[in-house]
Amino acid sequence: MFETARYEIGRRLRETAFLSVAVSLYAAFIVWYYTVLEGVAIEEVFEELPPAMMEAFGIETLSTIEGFLGAQIYNFVWILGLGLYFAYVAGGSIATDIESDRMEILLSFPITRSQLLVERLASLLLPIVVVNVVVGCVVYLLAAAIGEQMNVTHLAATHALSIPYLFVCTAIGLVFSVAADRAAIAERGAVGVVFVLFLVESIVGGASEYEWIQYVSPTQYYDPTPLLIDGSYELIDTGILLVTFAGLVLLSQILFYRRDV
Amino acid sequence: MRGDASTVPPIETRDLTKEYGSVIANDSLSFTVKRGEVFGFLGPNGAGKSTTIRLLLGLIRPTSGTATVLGADVHDEPALVDAKRRIGYLPARLGFNEEVTGRAVLEYHASIKGDSRLAELLEMFTPPIERPIREYSTGNKRMLGVIQAFMHDPDLVIMDEPTSGLDPLKQEEFNEFIRAERDQGTTVFLSSHVLSEVRRICDRVGIIREGTLVELEDVDTLLSRGGKRVRVTTRGESGSRLASLDGVVDIQRFPDGVQFIYTGEYNALLRALVKHDVREIDIAEPPLEDVFIHYYGESESENTDGIGGADV
Repeated sequence: MFETARYEIGRRLRETAFLSVAVSLYAAFIVWYYTVLEGVAIEEVFEELPPAMMEAFGIETLSTIEGFLGAQIYNFVWILGLGLYFAYVAGGSIATDIESDRMEILLSFPITRSQLLVERLASLLLPIVVVNVVVGCVVYLLAAAIGEQMNVTHLAATHALSIPYLFVCTAIGLVFSVAADRAAIAERGAVGVVFVLFLVESIVGGASEYEWIQYVSPTQYYDPTPLLIDGSYELIDTGILLVTFAGLVLLSQILFYRRDV
Repeated sequence: MRGDASTVPPIETRDLTKEYGSVIANDSLSFTVKRGEVFGFLGPNGAGKSTTIRLLLGLIRPTSGTATVLGADVHDEPALVDAKRRIGYLPARLGFNEEVTGRAVLEYHASIKGDSRLAELLEMFTPPIERPIREYSTGNKRMLGVIQAFMHDPDLVIMDEPTSGLDPLKQEEFNEFIRAERDQGTTVFLSSHVLSEVRRICDRVGIIREGTLVELEDVDTLLSRGGKRVRVTTRGESGSRLASLDGVVDIQRFPDGVQFIYTGEYNALLRALVKHDVREIDIAEPPLEDVFIHYYGESESENTDGIGGADV
């Protein structure tokens, strides 16, 4: 058990470390930028923006560190950047092996397809947890370094509740990965879908007639800015994300079980 | 488990068929591989050899018919997974992860399949296991592939074009190794499109062409029917006398010589040759396609009487 997960995690160590460092550096830049903007009437600048834009960038208040980070880091990097990244990586995971014929050896192992897929998925989920833990700590320490005391519970909740959202993005990639024959197709498909879902939620959010469409997007169920500012969230949203994740994993299991490799 | 192996054939296919749309990759294949033999699955590229191997390993599903591998039906995933503990597989294309070392690959394989013979194999085949795979030559990758196929001491080893990419010296070592494995009771199923390769190590051969099994026979029988391709360049009048020898087929003439497949007795050929002023001679294995055309029907050029060479 878990031999495959262990091996694959070993392969992903370096990219997980790079990712954590890169996102931490971006966070450091944003925190530094916040100190530069202090005292500038930044909110007046943004008041000119249309409401849909404010919604898309998760802008609520930019004068507190929570509001600023929520807009600049979490709405931007977490929802869009990491969402796309993990969809892309998951999209390539199985399809790359099928394309390179490596899957032939893997499937000659005494291990069921279902177990193989679960272990591969597990190796994709670990970087999600690592990035959250590392960057969460980094953000807290950086804020403390500029004399801002962030609420630990709110920060932890912001990171913890992003995990189901990123799991869903990964699972979207996984479905593409087991369905496509070529890695490039799976990767583009997964990235495309996650991006379109992000746009759908941002754009349709304002139009009441088509409001329902936004509920198909996973971004609807994770909203980091209010989490960071006052710790408010709906548990049902997390539930919906987890159920969606389970459904997508089941779908990829069925597709993988039935396909010719 | 092991008790089963003595009674059940390692591989048995019954009307095994795989269709891709309108293309029939495997057409109702039925054959049995006996325990402890080296079985060669011979056919030109694209004949459906890899399809059969993929069907046997459960990588793809048969359209109809079935097969058992070490007694496990290929439709029955749990049984097949169990059987795979005793199966080694060497695919035609080895898609190892490029960035990891050979050692890491072998450790991963060992954790799943076991490695009771790893040390012994690493003495015989010597890929640079401390280096990342991306630095490997084709031959080194091949050796790593052979090691992973045998490291868990399997009862049945399935190999798809095993010697492609090995240099002649390593190829001979490999043949030696396969023979020794066979002598210790391992059953080997290997595919190839090279007749000379198969004849050196296989006990029995199945010939597949366009998805259909056309022959199933002992290697000795195959050889006696396979013949040699003889190409002679002579000075003066080219070998019309050669063409009239018994066992000469598929004659092709060119300006200063002649080429044919010879299935007759060698001394007769040599006696005929000394009567010519031979400038150059090449006696070789006939290409597999020629063997098919002349010994397994469906000939496109029926000019076996030597007259058809008038085009030159």
